Amino acid sequence: LVDTLTGVDRPAEPDGFRAFVEARSPALLRSGWLLTGDWAIAEDLVQTALAAAWPRWDSLRRQDAPEVYVRKIMINTYLRWRQRRWNGEIATGRLPEMAAYGDVFAQIDARQALLAALDRLPARQRAVVVLRYFADQTESQTAAAMGCSVGAVKSHAAKALARLRDVPGLAELMTGGVTS
Amino acid sequence: VNTEEQQLTEMLHRVTPEPPRRVTVEDIAYRLANQAGPGRQTHYRPPRSRRNREPRLRRPRWGWAAAPVLAAASVFVVAGASAGIAVLATSHHTPSPPSQGAQDTTSAPPVSSSPTGAPTGTAPVLPVGAVIPGGPWGARLIGHHSLLPGSLTGGDGSLYGFTGQDLVRIDPGSGAIVQSVPFSSPVTSPPVVLGSTVWVVSSYSDARAVLLGFDAQTLTQVRSVTVPAVGQLSTAAQGVLAAGPDGNLYVAAGDLVAVVNPANGLVVQRVQQPGGPVSSVAVAPVGGTIYVTAFNESSQTLQLMTYSLTEGGVETGSSTVRSGGGGNLVATSGGVWGTLGSGMSESVWFAPGGDLSSASPYVREVGGGGYLTLPTLANDALWIGGTRALTCANPATGSVLASAAIPADHGATQYFGSVVYADGNAYSYYSDNLSQTQGLAELTPPAACTR
Repeated sequence: LVDTLTGVDRPAEPDGFRAFVEARSPALLRSGWLLTGDWAIAEDLVQTALAAAWPRWDSLRRQDAPEVYVRKIMINTYLRWRQRRWNGEIATGRLPEMAAYGDVFAQIDARQALLAALDRLPARQRAVVVLRYFADQTESQTAAAMGCSVGAVKSHAAKALARLRDVPGLAELMTGGVTS
Repeated sequence: VNTEEQQLTEMLHRVTPEPPRRVTVEDIAYRLANQAGPGRQTHYRPPRSRRNREPRLRRPRWGWAAAPVLAAASVFVVAGASAGIAVLATSHHTPSPPSQGAQDTTSAPPVSSSPTGAPTGTAPVLPVGAVIPGGPWGARLIGHHSLLPGSLTGGDGSLYGFTGQDLVRIDPGSGAIVQSVPFSSPVTSPPVVLGSTVWVVSSYSDARAVLLGFDAQTLTQVRSVTVPAVGQLSTAAQGVLAAGPDGNLYVAAGDLVAVVNPANGLVVQRVQQPGGPVSSVAVAPVGGTIYVTAFNESSQTLQLMTYSLTEGGVETGSSTVRSGGGGNLVATSGGVWGTLGSGMSESVWFAPGGDLSSASPYVREVGGGGYLTLPTLANDALWIGGTRALTCANPATGSVLASAAIPADHGATQYFGSVVYADGNAYSYYSDNLSQTQGLAELTPPAACTR
């Protein structure tokens, strides 16, 4: 293909890739936000995964597994970046103030509280929480995405839940009525 | 899946926001083109991701002098849209006439001035302890330090500033840096000393402001507070952190100002500002009133608003001026001071009672050379530096108490800014483009300034 605006050739766009990106990028971005807490980095993560999927797209489609592959790339990239301590995030000593729900600031508070709680988890536990409880992946799918055993996924999930249980205010958030 | 897991699943779906934008195939194509080899990426439009976006031509966080990339346009007019104030200001630095007692011009290397005041010749770096030739108010260099213009702050018997890589504490007696901690300020907002803690804005993105508190003596981090924002954080932020007389911190956080108790990190009050993201905030010395600015990039206007905290955050005044930027508010007993424009052409104004429509007699052109010039309140006087004059003013009335010209160093810009006090002595940040001297200057202001 030749880019009509620039005259520079670029890889041919595989069939179905555009539809997948348009349909699934919001969900993938939300997963990325839960992993990283930053929209720009989440977008980088999703773009990285989709760029890796592009050359293999036809094969992935035949296996009916493009999303599994993209999520696997996302998780592996996230874990690799975390190992490099790329984000330099500064853990805060306490959760932000939890305002009374129903006021205009409640959504913001809830998001900040959620991110602060997830920040307390090690990277692999956080990845399991996002895959299992947000992306609704099964234990075996989560294990495949993370390249570990189902038992390890169970272990990570149990430890993550235990840690989250100890986060002040999170129980209130889990039973509260704040919507995004 | 048990009940707890169901609740977690439900909460994750409920709280996780929708993304502000979607990834497009064009974004991916651009990334693949990047990976294919150098030289190709410039042909594709950049992705909208922040991490890969081409740098935009925008004002650096700490003024042009911190990263002198662009020369500005020639002339612009600052006009008070609602109040009819109009100030003509040139962005070219106009070299002041050589001052009496300045260096012998016959022995200096030949130089010529440039619009940015960049030196075209060289001169020896001034040694520590030397009186700055022609400098205002007996200025004497007491230390070589490369600080970000506008970041110098005084408090708790010390001076503080940002070097670009560190937050430093300077002993005013020796002029030496005695403590430093790695720190890079993400936004134009000088350190704030509150009691025995130095507060800085360490992160200002992704809908939250993160404040760090450092012990004022050891610069050991003692606090970290995350302040959630509402709406977008200002991209023209200049002075987003202030200390109030009530001992609280005031933080511009998108469409609101959050009042934070530094002792426990809790937000104790929120003042909504529906006119756009707050770019600067200041608190009246007696408390009860805050001043905020909001910069509208599309209309190139700066709006000043006054809010009464005692009445629950009710807006009590608003006025607008046309400007390419500004903020850096400083509240005094008579009103509020701030800046218009950028370091290439900057003015300082005083709005009596917080009313910009009354500001016109007090607008003073101070900028040039790309240096960010912030008004400061110290020792019961309002101080205005810059590249043209060093001025002290009555903080209640705005009247000038004393002023001294800042000479151009053979056509190259000299800058004195951020006058602060420590242990009863006055200090200023000093920079000379010709000799490439940056440092801390001790000043002896006239009695009129100290009243």
